[in-house]
Amino acid sequence: MRTVEPWVAEPLNAFVTESSARLTLLMTSSGQVVAQHGFAGALDVMSAAALGAGIMASSQELAALMRWPPFRIMVHQGRAQGHFLCRFQTPRGWWIGLVVYGTDTSLGLVELFFDQLVEQLLAATPHEEKPREVLTADFEAELNASLRALFGR
Amino acid sequence: MSLVNFTSREITCKLVYYGPGRSGKTTNLHYVYGRVPESRRGRMVSLATQTDRTLFFDFLPLDLGVISGFTTRFQLYTVPGQVYYDATRKLVLQGADGVVFVADSQARRLDDNVESLQNLQVNLLQQGVDVRHFPVVLQYNKQDLPRDLILTPEELDEALNFRNVKSYSADAVRGTGVFETLKGISELVLKRLAAGSAA
Repeated sequence: MRTVEPWVAEPLNAFVTESSARLTLLMTSSGQVVAQHGFAGALDVMSAAALGAGIMASSQELAALMRWPPFRIMVHQGRAQGHFLCRFQTPRGWWIGLVVYGTDTSLGLVELFFDQLVEQLLAATPHEEKPREVLTADFEAELNASLRALFGR
Repeated sequence: MSLVNFTSREITCKLVYYGPGRSGKTTNLHYVYGRVPESRRGRMVSLATQTDRTLFFDFLPLDLGVISGFTTRFQLYTVPGQVYYDATRKLVLQGADGVVFVADSQARRLDDNVESLQNLQVNLLQQGVDVRHFPVVLQYNKQDLPRDLILTPEELDEALNFRNVKSYSADAVRGTGVFETLKGISELVLKRLAAGSAA
């Protein structure tokens, strides 16, 4: 399990244990990864977040176009596994959860425990912290070196 | 907006390649994808039509390595360029940390460039972004075409670059200017992040 902010870890861990989800990904509405469980590669998880946020964003637009209420949950139930996608409001903006689950659990359990996860996240969200220094003033030399290495120049 | 994980010391930034249809946005990403070692990039996701026109977005995650002690990752997105995909462009633009505007240097595409640039301004403003302080660079692509078909970088600056941002000549098919453009926007985005965090 990896989380961008430590306070997400405990509620997410509880959700994974209770729901028996295979993969769980929490992301912002713009597709940035907040936390994940079950993915092997950091770059794969970024692609999954981009696609999950894209599905949710385009579905909201479709709902608005058709004058339907916004979708909160979208589900695809396959034979061997199901995909559960849910958007929810947090003090840090809209977040989206993507859960992949197998035959050892059910959509009902995933939904039940996901609602609990959302409640726990809302309760655990800390107040905004003061900005901390991220990059030193001389980061440009390191950026240039990284990009040169990346492009083989 | 950039996500910063202080515990694992990771930064993730979202860069969007914007511009009119067929200006070369996807070609930029393809070139980057082809040049970067497999260990430093993820799979390139392209949500395209049957004729390979971008339908929703292209997406390429890049691992830049460690900068100032932070593992730094960039997410490169393109938007669909055709005018009628505006709703999709707005979605992809959400939460962007910087934009590369890819202009088509052909003289006959000047109006399309202007229209797309105005569309970018409108969509950023709708998202509450102050365009005066938002990282944007311009790329004048297809500068390899015959001189009589294209506008020079100076002419394109005159027509498009009213904010006097950095601009780069490019031939994205052969990779000329692609690296420089990515470097330019990366610097702007990280400088902004550094300035914000020091405030």
